[in-house]
Amino acid sequence: MTDITKQAFAPARAFMSDDLLQVFYRLAAALLICLALAILSDSFLNLGNILNVLRQASLLFFIASGLTLVVLTAGLDLSVGANVALSACLAGTVIHQTGSPALGVLAALATGGIIGLLNGLMVTALRIPSFIATYGMLWVLNGLTYWYMAGEIIHGFPAAFRQIGSGYLFGLPIPVYLLLIFLSIGTIFAQRTIWGQEIYAIGANPVAARLSGIPLSRRLLLVYAVSGTMAGLASIIFLARLNSAEADIGESLTLPAIAAVLIGGTSLFGGVGTVFGTFVGALILTLVLNGMNLLSVNASWQPLVTGVIVILAVWLDIKARRRGE
Amino acid sequence: MSVRETIYAGLTVLAAATIATAAWADGETIAVFTKNQTNPYFQAVRVGADAAAKALNAKTLHYIPTKPDSIPEQLSQIEDVVVKKPDAIVFTPVDYKAMVPGVEKINAANIPVVNITDRSAAGKFVSFVGADDYSLGLETARYLLKTLGGKGNIVIIEGVKGSLTNVDRVRGFNDALKENPGTKLLASQPGNYQRLQALQVMENLIESHPQIDGVLASNDAMAMGAIEALEGANRTALVIGINGTKEAVDAINSGKLLASGDYNGFLQGCVGTTIAIRSLRKEPVVPEIVLKPTVVTKANYQSYETPIESRACPTWDDATKLGAK
Repeated sequence: MTDITKQAFAPARAFMSDDLLQVFYRLAAALLICLALAILSDSFLNLGNILNVLRQASLLFFIASGLTLVVLTAGLDLSVGANVALSACLAGTVIHQTGSPALGVLAALATGGIIGLLNGLMVTALRIPSFIATYGMLWVLNGLTYWYMAGEIIHGFPAAFRQIGSGYLFGLPIPVYLLLIFLSIGTIFAQRTIWGQEIYAIGANPVAARLSGIPLSRRLLLVYAVSGTMAGLASIIFLARLNSAEADIGESLTLPAIAAVLIGGTSLFGGVGTVFGTFVGALILTLVLNGMNLLSVNASWQPLVTGVIVILAVWLDIKARRRGE
Repeated sequence: MSVRETIYAGLTVLAAATIATAAWADGETIAVFTKNQTNPYFQAVRVGADAAAKALNAKTLHYIPTKPDSIPEQLSQIEDVVVKKPDAIVFTPVDYKAMVPGVEKINAANIPVVNITDRSAAGKFVSFVGADDYSLGLETARYLLKTLGGKGNIVIIEGVKGSLTNVDRVRGFNDALKENPGTKLLASQPGNYQRLQALQVMENLIESHPQIDGVLASNDAMAMGAIEALEGANRTALVIGINGTKEAVDAINSGKLLASGDYNGFLQGCVGTTIAIRSLRKEPVVPEIVLKPTVVTKANYQSYETPIESRACPTWDDATKLGAK
């Protein structure tokens, strides 16, 4: 690494403490929701319920964690939900045809990864803005999935495969282990590796990043490929938990994933945010739904309550930080 | 996908607004409007419409929004079809109120139109063919409550709040519960017709309610999601869904699902298209056929195992006996 690159990283380092502070406040918001739910509902603090929340948050986190890297570069990946749907349907077919869960997992990761690479190529080689490239990809993927599935549902997978989604190991659900593993990998990659730091630098100032010798295209290609592969991973968890694949599963996943990234404190302008923050964002969204179910909030009010709590959580955080400064 | 069908998909995102399927026969052209490409129910409607058209030597042209249930897309498809002037239209509104201006355009163009599935709030129709969501919900719930011996703790998983089908189905569920004072409604929570959301709702409710005996789900996908949650928690409860999808029939066969109310898309597509063609040929038609509710159970599921592609439409005499008023 040259001296110039080292200098370019200096500002990125300075973001770190800010990021940590932000994550701390968001975590406080999540804990506040937990506290309120613990007071209002007897069953909230049950071990079973806490594991439920973590397992439910894991699916959202897998999609949102890869997306976080994209948003850190000031990009966006709108195709993640459609990616999950197509990857799940293809992996489901592979498992049905070959009887091999391993090949199914490979198919899902490969489909997700290739879609991500194509997104990355559109953004780097064709210079199409990421919002438009991935929005177009969203429609292409939906079209392929609808055509491929033709209104059918693929269902019924081997018990061994379904363990990935619904199994337990030493009392903890398997998706929670995966959550912890990918949370660690994501955090170490973003915070502790040169590639991770370069991604922050690209988001903070792409011109400075290029001048300091960061291979912009290759790093962007990487983040879109990671985002796509994580969507592929999410599709495996989805398949294994739901025991079925259908064409319309993607739409209800995309916006919550983007929301988890932003609620977690990652800036749409790039350069600021953490993977751990995204985990907290996914946790907040999951907690709200869990709480409303436990408290039997009337179905008519649930969208409104969700909206108000999300806005309140982020507003409290901004207010607290301003006071802190 | 049937060999008979040729799919012309648009090449660009904008041109992808319509997917048209043409059958080979000659004779009258019937434009068939359905809500989406993802729900197996509407696939059954299209197969039924094609079967009726083939039997009567007419052809169908399918109009399906690329974005599921999109109001603006169906409106623009109506504008398109009014110019193309098919001989008749078989119409499912994506929204029974919002599509009224579209129906008025069809009426103004003097194209005869048969309304199927969701009853339009206004407009002139040759006939209406549909299932009664209320009695379907009522009968299917009654079957579950009867199996439970008229007592037990019940959970309702609702579909999309405010959708016509869901309002009536849930009303049917609740009226069946009122007939059985020995039952207790623990919670009525939204799953938005989505499998994943129903699974998560059920996981949460399992935590707050130690004893759940019966689950009434507004559609089959949510019923299957609830079953996955129950299995994951090693709990058992009787579960019913609505729509009579192939997946539900398989689950009834294997004993996982107790019953499913048959919404009978194939029959609705058949009879709606038959009426459209008969009215063009100046043959007598009936103003309304509301199918009597049929509950698919362990006792009668065999007749539902025939794939819809190889089913035949009923004769006109039989069709008028299905519930004509």
